[in-house]
Amino acid sequence: MGKEVRDDLRYTKTHEWVKVKDKVAVVGITDYAQGELTDIVYVELPEVGKEFKKGEEMCTLESIKSVAEVYAPISGKILKVNKSLEDSPEKINESPYEEGWIVEMEIKDEKELDDLLSPEDYRKIIS
Amino acid sequence: MVQRSPLHKIHEKLGAKFTVFMGNEMPLYFTSIKDEHLTVRKAVGLFDVSHMCNVMVKGKDAEKLMSIATVENASRIPEFMSQYTVILREDGTIIDDTIFYHLPDGYLLIPNAGMGKVVANWLNEKAREYGLDAKAQDLSRDYVILAIQGPRSREVLQELTDVDLSSLKLFEFTIAKVNGVDCILSRTGYTGELGYELQITPPQNAIKLFERILEVGKNYGIKPIGLGARDTLRLEKCFVLACNEFEGGRTPLEAGLAFTINWDHDFIGKEALLRQKEKGDYERLTCLKCIEKGVPRHGCKVEKEGKVVGKVSSGTLSPSLNVGIALAYMKPEYRSIGEVVDIVIREKRVKAEVVKPPFVKKG
Repeated sequence: MGKEVRDDLRYTKTHEWVKVKDKVAVVGITDYAQGELTDIVYVELPEVGKEFKKGEEMCTLESIKSVAEVYAPISGKILKVNKSLEDSPEKINESPYEEGWIVEMEIKDEKELDDLLSPEDYRKIIS
Repeated sequence: MVQRSPLHKIHEKLGAKFTVFMGNEMPLYFTSIKDEHLTVRKAVGLFDVSHMCNVMVKGKDAEKLMSIATVENASRIPEFMSQYTVILREDGTIIDDTIFYHLPDGYLLIPNAGMGKVVANWLNEKAREYGLDAKAQDLSRDYVILAIQGPRSREVLQELTDVDLSSLKLFEFTIAKVNGVDCILSRTGYTGELGYELQITPPQNAIKLFERILEVGKNYGIKPIGLGARDTLRLEKCFVLACNEFEGGRTPLEAGLAFTINWDHDFIGKEALLRQKEKGDYERLTCLKCIEKGVPRHGCKVEKEGKVVGKVSSGTLSPSLNVGIALAYMKPEYRSIGEVVDIVIREKRVKAEVVKPPFVKKG
């Protein structure tokens, strides 16, 4: 089952991934997290423009069996949300690192990026 | 203490993700709940349901005890037939729902997970109280229960037994050899599909059989199925789950199980049920189908124009219909078919409609 950890991403203990692209942070949940949830059937996305502090609940994912929160990995405003997840939430299961991205966030404080986990550290957490 | 199934090692090998349900560590799913659910609806699935219990009732007065302690008149049930029924307290609330098998030398009950001792103790207490020569024994640890369910279940099982499965009626059972292993083989299940259940003792006999059924079933698209899909399968058919639907004490009239009651005999709880029936103002289990997006969960409130009129006992996203479905205890005046209510899901109101059971019809 899914345990892929990509080397070009940073991670959180709560199983979000972050990719820095043109001074913007793309955020999703990891392959491990989607495997634990399985069958995501409903995604409650945040509003564009809403500001979150690092660690705040940002978005809700529902699987057939349970409900899980996605936490803001860094502080900043929501710039974009992946609207296609509203009709195809299964994309998070099928492609957690590509089509299943959840939001793009402003990077308010670059120093917070340093607190994110490296792929090696994240691998240790889920092993 | 957490109990493990005698098949635990096989489940591990098959890549199961486990959950603890009523003190039993059992597979939640192997691949995904949705995939497993649809496999059972369209082809065939194999379930280990060893978390369920086995209670044997024997003695000269076993039939009398069954009749007094359940809502069924046991004299109506011939040998080699099984019956779904409920065991009530004197106040009419359900202790457990169970199937009982009428064996040549007694009755074998299948109480829910964690209920074997409770049911056996209750039956022994009632046997004493009513002066009956009957004894109940909790044999849960002596049995493995397998369920093979789905439209192709007959074909798979037929390859492993000489019994003509097409002649076995719903709720009928036989003592059969399946792949050389002695089983109680019944046409019963919890999925609403064609299906069979096997009671196997001693437990180690089930290990090879489980693997053999998967092997033979390959050509029919068989998969091992976890408790996750077991729950969504039963909910689409509006079958109750004891730990959800009986929570807090419910009578069979409330739980939509009036069909199980045989009023022509005396049983524990009868007077209380007659009183409740006459009063008529009790909450009843009701099927709600979401019109808007959302997944109802156990405990969600149901509202009508801002007023609480019910509470969800079980909810999920139906893998077959791809909409939220729920069983909810509703005040009688708000449960006519077509009535639109709000289910409150994490502070959000999601519109749902009262529908006739089941959510998913045959085929």
